[in-house]
Amino acid sequence: MDLAKYRALFLEEATEHLAELSRALLALEKNAADVEAIDLAFRMAHSIKGMAASLDYHGPAELGHKLEDCLAAQRAEGKVSVRASALLFRGLEALERMVAVLRATGDPPPPADPALIAELSGQPADVPEAPPKKA
Amino acid sequence: MKRVLIADDASFMRQMIRDIIEPEGYEVVGEASDGVEVVEKFRKLRPDIIMMDIVMPKRSGIDAVRAIRSEDSTTTIVMCSALGQETLVMEAIQAGAKDFIVKPFKPDAVVATLAKVSEKSE
Repeated sequence: MDLAKYRALFLEEATEHLAELSRALLALEKNAADVEAIDLAFRMAHSIKGMAASLDYHGPAELGHKLEDCLAAQRAEGKVSVRASALLFRGLEALERMVAVLRATGDPPPPADPALIAELSGQPADVPEAPPKKA
Repeated sequence: MKRVLIADDASFMRQMIRDIIEPEGYEVVGEASDGVEVVEKFRKLRPDIIMMDIVMPKRSGIDAVRAIRSEDSTTTIVMCSALGQETLVMEAIQAGAKDFIVKPFKPDAVVATLAKVSEKSE
């Protein structure tokens, strides 16, 4: 396998996918039940997982997988909870850092933060959302 | 020479499949990046084999299999799945896909699967 070629392809496509993931998560902040945004975010996480696994980049592959699982659970619930949204944004930022390391050094991205992986694995167990404030 | 259409929303994956199968004598006649485009390109190109991703925008790979099978029973469809998608793979096979390969791709497994489905289709 021509690793340099695939690394360049990964960097290009993962960067685009992360931008799409970011747009989808921002849309979900405005409308937590936006089905199209959940589907888009799921596809981006799924795709990043697949590409990273193909190159033995275990960090983004594992994190992409957990984000995918989290999004699938939220999709089943019909909307993205506040807690899940925060976790998904943390996952996005972690993926962006991994891609930045790969771009800067050419080395495989670092492993995912075990604490974040553990929290994502805790889905769909969820903290109840705060009740609306009284007027 | 078998003519192959590759459908995956990631150009990375399409390139990887192309690089695995072209040296083995398969001709890649087209690529599609979503489930609508693959049906359109199937109609235009009439490939022998379609390598079909499951998770794609606009229309899922499984829906695309159903659409293609409603028009044609000869094109061989091989699903490209990920670990954990066993239920979706079974659904795709029931819809008319012939076989599947699992990401991350192992080149030997991809080639062996294509050889197997090519034999069956002859």
